[in-house]
Amino acid sequence: MEKVEEITIKIDGISVSAKKGEKILWAALDAGINIPNLCAVREAKIPFGSCRLCFVEIEGRTGPVTACTEPVKEGMVVRTDSDRISRLRRTAFELIMAYHQMECRNCINRGKCELLKIARDLGIKLKSLRFRKRQKVLPLDETNPFFIYDPNKCILCGKCVWVCHEKGEGKIDFAFRGIDTIITYKGDVLSEQKCALSGECIKICPAGAMIPRNFSLIKKVDTKNEM
Amino acid sequence: MLEKVDRILTSHGNDKASLIGILQDIQAEYNYLPPKPLERVAEKVDAPLSQVLGIATFFQSFSLKPRGEHIITVCTGTACHVKGAPRVLGAIERELGIKPGDDDTTEGLGFTVEAVNCLGSCALAPLVVVDGKYQGHVTGKKMQSLINKTQKSKKK
Amino acid sequence: MGMINNPEELGKVQKAILKERKKDSGKTQIVVCGGTGCRGAGAEEVVNAFGEELKKLNGKAAEVLFKETCCHGFCDQGPIVVIDPENIFYQHVTPKDVPKIIKETVLEGKVINKFLYTDPQTDKKVVHEKEIPFYKKQNRLIFGNNRYIDPTSIEDYLALGGYQAMAKALTKMTPETIIEEIKKAGLRGRGGGGFDAGVKWETCRHAEGEPKYVICNADEGDPGAYMDRSLLEGNPHSVLEGMVIGAYAIGSSEGYIYVRNEYPLAVKNATIAIAQAEEKGLLGENIFGSGFDFSVKISRGGGAFVCGESSALMTSLEGRVGRPRAKYIHTVEKGLWGKPSTLNNVETWSNVPPIIEKGADWYRTIGTEGSKGTKIFSLVGKINNTGLIEVPMGMTLREIVYDIGGGIPDGKKFKAVQTGGPSGGCLPESELDRPVDFDELIKAGSMMGSGGMIVMDEDSCMVDVARYFLKFLVEESCGKCVPCREGVLRMLEIVTDICEGNGKEEDIALLEELSETIQDSALCALGSTAPNPVLTTLKYFRDEYLAHINDKKCPGGVCTALIEFSIDQETCNGCGACIKACPSDAITGETKQPHSIDKSKCIKCGMCEDVCKQNAVIIT
Repeated sequence: MEKVEEITIKIDGISVSAKKGEKILWAALDAGINIPNLCAVREAKIPFGSCRLCFVEIEGRTGPVTACTEPVKEGMVVRTDSDRISRLRRTAFELIMAYHQMECRNCINRGKCELLKIARDLGIKLKSLRFRKRQKVLPLDETNPFFIYDPNKCILCGKCVWVCHEKGEGKIDFAFRGIDTIITYKGDVLSEQKCALSGECIKICPAGAMIPRNFSLIKKVDTKNEM
Repeated sequence: MLEKVDRILTSHGNDKASLIGILQDIQAEYNYLPPKPLERVAEKVDAPLSQVLGIATFFQSFSLKPRGEHIITVCTGTACHVKGAPRVLGAIERELGIKPGDDDTTEGLGFTVEAVNCLGSCALAPLVVVDGKYQGHVTGKKMQSLINKTQKSKKK
Repeated sequence: MGMINNPEELGKVQKAILKERKKDSGKTQIVVCGGTGCRGAGAEEVVNAFGEELKKLNGKAAEVLFKETCCHGFCDQGPIVVIDPENIFYQHVTPKDVPKIIKETVLEGKVINKFLYTDPQTDKKVVHEKEIPFYKKQNRLIFGNNRYIDPTSIEDYLALGGYQAMAKALTKMTPETIIEEIKKAGLRGRGGGGFDAGVKWETCRHAEGEPKYVICNADEGDPGAYMDRSLLEGNPHSVLEGMVIGAYAIGSSEGYIYVRNEYPLAVKNATIAIAQAEEKGLLGENIFGSGFDFSVKISRGGGAFVCGESSALMTSLEGRVGRPRAKYIHTVEKGLWGKPSTLNNVETWSNVPPIIEKGADWYRTIGTEGSKGTKIFSLVGKINNTGLIEVPMGMTLREIVYDIGGGIPDGKKFKAVQTGGPSGGCLPESELDRPVDFDELIKAGSMMGSGGMIVMDEDSCMVDVARYFLKFLVEESCGKCVPCREGVLRMLEIVTDICEGNGKEEDIALLEELSETIQDSALCALGSTAPNPVLTTLKYFRDEYLAHINDKKCPGGVCTALIEFSIDQETCNGCGACIKACPSDAITGETKQPHSIDKSKCIKCGMCEDVCKQNAVIIT
């Protein structure tokens, strides 16, 4: 087999070696340099690029670029933080949080919430201050025998769609468009048992929107006080 | 009932790449996209139902709900907007209680109203198409009488 | 007329058609515009009426020629009828006018005054089409042939020298020299961004992967622009010819025309044109014995503005949902089915044959330093002469609006012209002397887009226009990336608040911040240009925003929450029409006495204004 060429780039002043063609995001994460991201999947052939969090600046380039789509090049000088980048990330994250329905006590991702981690990294609150909460009260999709999909929690990162097509039966997809976009399964016929075995969509969801049917909700604490 | 769907599918060679064309032909046949034909399409082109639904809900020209006997299409292109399309929509809402969006069809399926982003006949702005016939320079008042006329023609 | 196998035969065919037509040169020809605008005004009935009346002429009918074309451009005057060779121009013709036209003009050679166009500036009647000011200042290089072509007749196109540029390209030029010629001509894509077409072709030619595809974007989505529709409907062969030349240069043998489902006539005429070209061997295998094959298929779009974006359009052609993909690889390298693909819009393809035929040096004499050739605009909105115009790049907005467009109707004041669709912006009076080309419009904060020009007068509200475009963009966003899906929605919320009188002064800063973020971070160009309508209105019409926010007033009299209807007591003649029309019984008054509106009952629907013949309804 052909040996993969290793090249060296500089991220935030640190020399990082990476495989040729690797995207900046993975080179940075491998080197222990954090770049917030929500929709990136390393194995995906085509980066989805929807969350717009992983912006970096590259010397010699005018605008910020997404680290998940930009391949490393020899001698590249990358900065993962600047005022401009910070503003883009914070606004994008605030926009996401203004419509993600938070039910942290009853969330399957409790204790390992990626959203919370990003909020901490960015140094901002989970609750958006500038935008009113988007009131979406969409019905759950309960047509799958193994999981329930909650569109009110979903942040539309597309990871479940990718993983289902990659490892499961490929029976979920985006439906509608714009602000009405949801993930749909809609009671399709499962030909194999891959869906039951994989459960990958549940594992990969950063928003706790894919809920296994056997997931027992933590007893609801007096919700009146929470409101 | 599904024979027509099968015929349409065959004319497109049951090809997944022709899904948009297949759905357009089905909508032309049924006036909307009923669930059974959609399931049939998914089965025949060997695509997940979610992909078929994805297409059917993404593109504006598809409807998953039955549409009315009379279709009023209001052009809401920029020229029509500045020349008074909102007033035309207002008149339709007052007359029929429907507006483009979720409540776009009258009970009993008499009328459906839809808004289209520019029909490319800007010289006629504001433009309304009633049952396929172009009506130019429509005002709230003219819309009102167009609806009345259409309702009367129905009663005959 | 069978197959055309080589350039010599093409030349012979043209000569034969011209010779045949020369026999008819003394005959009267009636040309009816059957473009969309004229059809909307009843052109089909006029065509039928001519058919009936001509039949009645019996033997004499052979002395009269009849042609139905597509759009001539002067859409507001439709249905348009031109009588050649005299070049008499009749407007607003109805079926019942037809017998009179046949009798008096066609048979007796008399001009009928009441069908003539009146120049609003001089108030004089104009007899001849070519003397109409609307046409005079134009340079109708691409669009002009529409007037002479029945789009269902390939002979009409061949008679005008059609497919000769293709013959030259395929037999006398190499792909490289074609690309050089297009690059030298400086042809930029007419669909939006104005990317250099020659460079695009070259990149695609050199990109790895087979087969390669050429695609014609006829999914014209900018509201207020309809030149692509009119070109494809009216002169489909010119588009096909451009595509063949492009395909030969790129090394592609398969082409697609992606056309809006709302354009059935364009689909029909393009389908007929493809069949005719195939029948003549102008499309298909081994065209002109050059060893080059090329076929074209038509694909109907499902209705999504985002499908104007190249990667979204191509996924849609593959039968999938059209969501743009992250742009780290361009579609010229990996496009349709992952293969190198060149996408140009209808107007761009139509520019190719004249460049090849007459040469880049000729083409470069038209236009400005950075933008060569002509551009077709749809001049619509609050303007006297509504229609499609074609002018050399570099003409000023003022010349377009006043000299060609004839200014603003009803003596109203000009306020703004919106260019570039939802990615563009609104330019004020102070920008009217700006020459129009790709770069100048960007400098002004707007863009060329596909060429819509919507004129607005003092009765338009610029905040409402911003809200209109935001609503459009929210409805048309594919929903993939966060800044476009969520950010534009938030901008709409804020601007709606302002329109409804709930705006706060800090809203403007938040709008500007969101705009900047969306510009920097949206996934595709439709998202990153989405803030332009807001940014340009904030730049040029900030006082209108402030009037909404601080004074709770809408200077244009549009935003219903901030306006009031009343009746001018001096002007009202008490006719009672408004009382009858008012759906909320808010108007009272005695016959022949001035009426008045009860503001507590008024729902501000505007019905009274629509019916008032005295213009006595005042909006403040």
